[in-house]
Amino acid sequence: MNDTQHLSSQFDEDLARLRTSVLQMGGLVETQVAEAIAAYDKGDIASVKHIVETDRKINDLEKAIDDDCAHLIAKRQPAASDLRLVFGISKIVTDLERAGDEAKKIAKGVRRIYEAGQMPAQYGVGVRHIAEAALAMVRDSLDAFARLDVVLAEKVIRSDEGVDIEFKSIVRQLITHMMEDPRTITTSLDIIWIARAVERIGDHAKNVAEHVVFIVEGKDIRHPPKEAKA
Amino acid sequence: MSSQLIRGLLLIAGSALVALPAGYFVASWVGWSVFCTGLGLQMVFHFRNFARLERWSRAPNADPDLEGQGAWDEVFGRLYQHEKDVRAQLARRDAEIAMLIAAGQALTDGVVLLDEADRILFCNTTAESQLGLAIASDRGQAIVNLVRQPEFVAYLQGRDFDKPLTLRSERVRDCTLSIHVIPYADNHRLLQVKDITQSERLDRTRRDFVANVSHELRTPLTVLSGFLETLQEIDVDPAERRRYVDLMAEQSKRMQTIVQDLLTLSSIESAPPPGTEVIDMASLIDKLRRDAEALSGGRHTIVVESDGRPDLRGSEPELVSALANLVTNAVRYTPAGGSIRVVWHALGQGAEFAVEDTGIGIAPEHIPRLTERFYRVDRGRSRDSGGTGLGLAIVKHSLNRHNAQLEVTSEPGKGSRFAARFPASRVAGV
Repeated sequence: MNDTQHLSSQFDEDLARLRTSVLQMGGLVETQVAEAIAAYDKGDIASVKHIVETDRKINDLEKAIDDDCAHLIAKRQPAASDLRLVFGISKIVTDLERAGDEAKKIAKGVRRIYEAGQMPAQYGVGVRHIAEAALAMVRDSLDAFARLDVVLAEKVIRSDEGVDIEFKSIVRQLITHMMEDPRTITTSLDIIWIARAVERIGDHAKNVAEHVVFIVEGKDIRHPPKEAKA
Repeated sequence: MSSQLIRGLLLIAGSALVALPAGYFVASWVGWSVFCTGLGLQMVFHFRNFARLERWSRAPNADPDLEGQGAWDEVFGRLYQHEKDVRAQLARRDAEIAMLIAAGQALTDGVVLLDEADRILFCNTTAESQLGLAIASDRGQAIVNLVRQPEFVAYLQGRDFDKPLTLRSERVRDCTLSIHVIPYADNHRLLQVKDITQSERLDRTRRDFVANVSHELRTPLTVLSGFLETLQEIDVDPAERRRYVDLMAEQSKRMQTIVQDLLTLSSIESAPPPGTEVIDMASLIDKLRRDAEALSGGRHTIVVESDGRPDLRGSEPELVSALANLVTNAVRYTPAGGSIRVVWHALGQGAEFAVEDTGIGIAPEHIPRLTERFYRVDRGRSRDSGGTGLGLAIVKHSLNRHNAQLEVTSEPGKGSRFAARFPASRVAGV
């Protein structure tokens, strides 16, 4: 009797540790995204190198956490909500890692733009705005995971639409610029890539939020049928 | 207690006393049944009290109706008293805890209490807003799950809390936090979170100041040493040499002015508050007018609107230099043919000194920064006209020491108005 008690509390500890390491990884991704945006904002090429290097840490964390998940399933054979948590974590980690990759892409794009001696200031203001929205989404989705807060997760899922719309309007605006002045094409394309990466970060945050809903409620809310969406 | 025992025994003896003759005279079963009835009645009496106690123990409360009979009365009374004491004690504790929490909430610094596994036990509202926590939902949550910045996590896990951690806040824009971890009672930790945005900003201003001073002094120094080197290495003809020496004298004079202004500024800063001797404003304004006319050399129309009233209280040299600075600025920054109006009059309870010009004006984004040390709207121009970049900083300081406010209104291309407003306490004869 005493033994099983001990085992299950050990199990609880394992789960708590797993959650914490996911959130640590999330914190790293948050910082990466924030730094990439700051680099874009200030044209700070020096921080690009740091961002690219830190991305490797995120990749390592992803592998380590995935490993832990596999071990936990094999050793403890979790059931019901615990199993959902482990599955959810394994998916969240994938999305976080990809969001980290997008941050790296932003950083590299920033380097390309500024090394070419271009200033995105005049037509890249919109990017900063959606970047902040996407960063807030990442932060909220991680908060939702930490607190297992479905309401917050649903808010994140809803706000993804705003980011998508804004992304489209940035693209339209940049296309107009390119038509007016073909010399801006290189920079404009780079900015579009950056905006695209930002939009993808928003998507990954949305996915994380969906996994949170799955963990808490056991409902898979990805890919809703067309009529339900409308 | 013993009296209760005696009473119980007496009751048994009583029933036996009735039962014995009945058994002897009537029939033995009658005697036994009388005796049993006596004992049974006692049992019923005790059982009723027991049932009452049992009912109470399911939901103990301090109910004064809780009363027993006979032997039970005292027991119930003591239970009642005990329950009342415990409740009073609990209420006192609750009040104490509530007061401690209120004190924690009243702190302007954020406070978070952590248990041995760094889980949140308590945090006040300041910490909630600084770190994005919500105590209602986050009690028991590991703090690193919510404050996820890698620097913070590394700091907390590093276990080296000698130096506080400086952290850029994620939740509040442009806010810098200083986090101090204080270990207490068996591996618990207290997180003290200070908002150091202001002092950070001050630090930056000071660093900028030092950088600016060095820069301002280096420029003339470079010129000086350049000429000196030339003179050392090359033989130049006397006319050229004459020109070099003149330029060198000019630059060293410039350095002297900068150092002089810096000294003035620091002496104003560290000097005791200005006195309250009465300053004769009529002669002061007159002196300002003469200075302005001399500097202008007839290129500007200078109008003075003042009847010399009211007089001010304060330090005359400081005010003369401050007000003269405003006037000379107006002359310097107004192209030839412009006009300058100097006004001194009572305004409300206090008084106002104003200089209006029709000069080049100042763009709105520069106005709030004008009084910063070494701040220049147009770098080249103001240095050409001999400015050190410290004039308005000195003016502002002197005026502040006299409780006066400097108000600047300006429109580029049209002119500016610099007004010093003195409060009633500085006006003589009020």
